[in-house]
Amino acid sequence: MIGLGHYLFLSGILFSVGVVGITISRSVLKILLSLELLLAASNLSFVAFSKFNGDYTGQLIVFFVILVAAAEVAIGLAIIVLMYRRLSTIQADDLKDLKW
Amino acid sequence: MFSFFFYLFGAVLVLASLAVILARNPLYNVLSLVVVIFSLSSLFMLLEAFFVGIILLLVYAGAVLVFFLFVAMCLKLNSETPTTIRKNRIRLLGWCAGAAFLSELIFIIKSFLMTQTMGPSSIRGAIEIIGKILFTEYLLPFELTSLLLLIAVIGIVSLAKGAFKTDGNESGDAKNMAGNR
Repeated sequence: MIGLGHYLFLSGILFSVGVVGITISRSVLKILLSLELLLAASNLSFVAFSKFNGDYTGQLIVFFVILVAAAEVAIGLAIIVLMYRRLSTIQADDLKDLKW
Repeated sequence: MFSFFFYLFGAVLVLASLAVILARNPLYNVLSLVVVIFSLSSLFMLLEAFFVGIILLLVYAGAVLVFFLFVAMCLKLNSETPTTIRKNRIRLLGWCAGAAFLSELIFIIKSFLMTQTMGPSSIRGAIEIIGKILFTEYLLPFELTSLLLLIAVIGIVSLAKGAFKTDGNESGDAKNMAGNR
């Protein structure tokens, strides 16, 4: 029988993979993708808790998280495109100067 | 049968999320995230959160990840080159931090489950009930979300406008080239 713990462990693994991705990746695009992994992990926890508590609030929060993530991704990708125009690279290591 | 599907989609989820952070080609990173979102949506279906699962597919796999793919293809990115020793040390440190984080999470979840004996409830997140709650109890946050999206659109447009203004040299060069032709 699959209980709440199974979903929480899966969500924890997904979140840890996202944290590792943020720390080890140098491309800004990959860092943004890892952020999406973190959001997905928290969404899984929310839905699992919603199911096992018998409360719909968790699913509604997931709905709002998806909307906010869409806005965040749009802004983040616009900033990445700007960075590529100025520096012609998207490696985070190349963002050394505050002004250029 | 239920647990078989849980383990199947869970395994796909973990493997694809590892591919997101480990694949060298940026396109493969984005496409692995599509797989992650699909298996996550399947897990939502197993939890009977139908509306949220479908929204996840539509908004994430349908719109957000296509946007990612568009940017990744537009930017002419190179695959990552093998890392130097100093970079490898940073990678090792990142993996250690992730492992410590995961062990801590597992410890916390175990101690949480000691105190809890929750069985699955019979709620089903169909669009009818979710919509009813969304338009009564959560009406204000729902409307504020539209404001947030509007702000995001204005922010993107102003960012893009700034890029075209400061790129005077580039557009000037383009105009010169067009004139020469």
